[in-house]
Amino acid sequence: MRIKDCSNTLHGVRRARCRSLAPWTARTATQFPRIQWPQVSALILALCFSLSALSLAQAQQIIVNDDVAISDIDRNRARLIFTMRINQWSDQLPVAVFVLPDEAPLHQAFAKSALGVFPYQLRQTWDRQVFSGTGQAPLQVANEAEMVQRVRQTPGAIGYVGQPLSLPGIKVVEVK
Amino acid sequence: MDLRSVLTTWILLLAASSSVADNLAGPLVDQPLADQRLVDQLQLHGFASQGALKTSANRFYGDSPNTSFDFTEIGLNASWRLNPRLRLAGQVLYRRAGEMSDDEPKVDFALADIILTTGDSYRVGTRIGRIKNRLGLYNETRDVPFTHPGIFLPQVVYFDKVRNLILSADGIYVYTDLYQPFGLFSASLATGLPVIDKNVETAYLFGDLPGDLGPDENSWLASLWYYSQDERLKLGWSGAAVSLEFDPQQGSPLPIGPGTVDILYWIASAQYNTERWSFTTEYMAEPMQWRGFGPMRPDRDATAEGYYAQVTHRPLPKWQLMLRYEEGFGDRADRDGRKLEQQTFGLIPAKATSSRILTLGLRWDLNQQWMLKAEYQRHIGNFILSEIENPDFGSFEKHWDLFAIQAAFRF
Repeated sequence: MRIKDCSNTLHGVRRARCRSLAPWTARTATQFPRIQWPQVSALILALCFSLSALSLAQAQQIIVNDDVAISDIDRNRARLIFTMRINQWSDQLPVAVFVLPDEAPLHQAFAKSALGVFPYQLRQTWDRQVFSGTGQAPLQVANEAEMVQRVRQTPGAIGYVGQPLSLPGIKVVEVK
Repeated sequence: MDLRSVLTTWILLLAASSSVADNLAGPLVDQPLADQRLVDQLQLHGFASQGALKTSANRFYGDSPNTSFDFTEIGLNASWRLNPRLRLAGQVLYRRAGEMSDDEPKVDFALADIILTTGDSYRVGTRIGRIKNRLGLYNETRDVPFTHPGIFLPQVVYFDKVRNLILSADGIYVYTDLYQPFGLFSASLATGLPVIDKNVETAYLFGDLPGDLGPDENSWLASLWYYSQDERLKLGWSGAAVSLEFDPQQGSPLPIGPGTVDILYWIASAQYNTERWSFTTEYMAEPMQWRGFGPMRPDRDATAEGYYAQVTHRPLPKWQLMLRYEEGFGDRADRDGRKLEQQTFGLIPAKATSSRILTLGLRWDLNQQWMLKAEYQRHIGNFILSEIENPDFGSFEKHWDLFAIQAAFRF
């Protein structure tokens, strides 16, 4: 494929040079190459990968309703809250936990990097509680917009978003 | 009630509550916040599954040698958190499992969960009502296909033939959870009356004798668990002490006395989870004592035993492969069953008291609601088979295969 493309685009350049994977070294003023699809697509791919790596690496933000009296939270406590084991805040306010669907990339990234557990473990814990009568599951919202809206409306609510945001009624909480 | 009408009612109920749940879960922009609050505190969930299985010989979950569809599980539950300290929860379960179940919806659990005291690093609470027993990794949710990797739980530890004995208890349960930097500890103690059925009687008395087997006194249950912070490592010990009493039928031709069966049943559990792999092993021992049944059933002591190792692999997010090997024995002092065979003059053949099972399983979660499973098992021995489904011990096939598929839905 590459050789075929090379021969199409680089007139008069010997195939051996083409195979050297540095076809631009053969450029001359008169032989300006047309678009080199293999290189371009490789570049786009690389860009996509680094973008997705960036979006994965980006810190997911825990958000809480304004009435929750915390400014940071440690990871263990966040995990206890999201696994529904702690259901009231230190000042007795009931906790309302909101999550995205299991398949949502943000949910998966949040579970792994913010809570340090795998999404399937969260699901197992919630299922055990729901189907044995020993606890409840978090409230599931369809998307980030709904997440923001519900956390804003619900006293004692906690949830997460993928982008830093600043909105009245919502506090972003740092995970320590 | 007619089986078909029960099923239809349940499917309708399930569909109705599913749409209710959808409505509850949908965005509610203009609804008053108070209503929203109630909706958030009251949760409805449910599941339904249908399986099909075929065995090369022996009956398991119905007429399996000729392909059985007698394997249905439908559950519907509600949980209402009135305030952070008080929650009410209940589940109704309809279960069809060949002749091992009686085809009637049952109250699976119905309880009040009261948190007595709680802080940042602990919680102490009590549950009152019908409570699922926390035995091993799976007993509490054993009928919910989504909560375990295979179609069938390892039978040498979680016998389906006598599931009722250890399934739940009507009583009181006290628990404490400690949240420490190095992990979570939880301990529980419970007491209550077990729910005994014909299956338990037939299994523990080796046949359906004229009379009734019932709880002699309250069962006692205890459990102790450690989870590492990230829940990768789970270690647990859980046990139950159950006493049964036989009430012989008056004027019965068989001279069977009002005997007792005392059972201790405990499980040691360990699981390690990584992103792609889970390794699970559990060991179960069950010391039993039979007393006072008269000359036809002399006093006897035996310790049943079962253990398994299970590897689960998730090559892709929605796919799961499972490999498991398990062994179980009716009496660990007589693993090959020859002693009992001699004592009973061949009535209980040696092959009926041990099982060695190799299982291969595949699970596909299509989405959060739907799941398909397929499973193959190779069996040597018949220990796990139900005496009600296979009343003629002499006709057991020692070497047999099982193939099963299951579709499950939940909301």
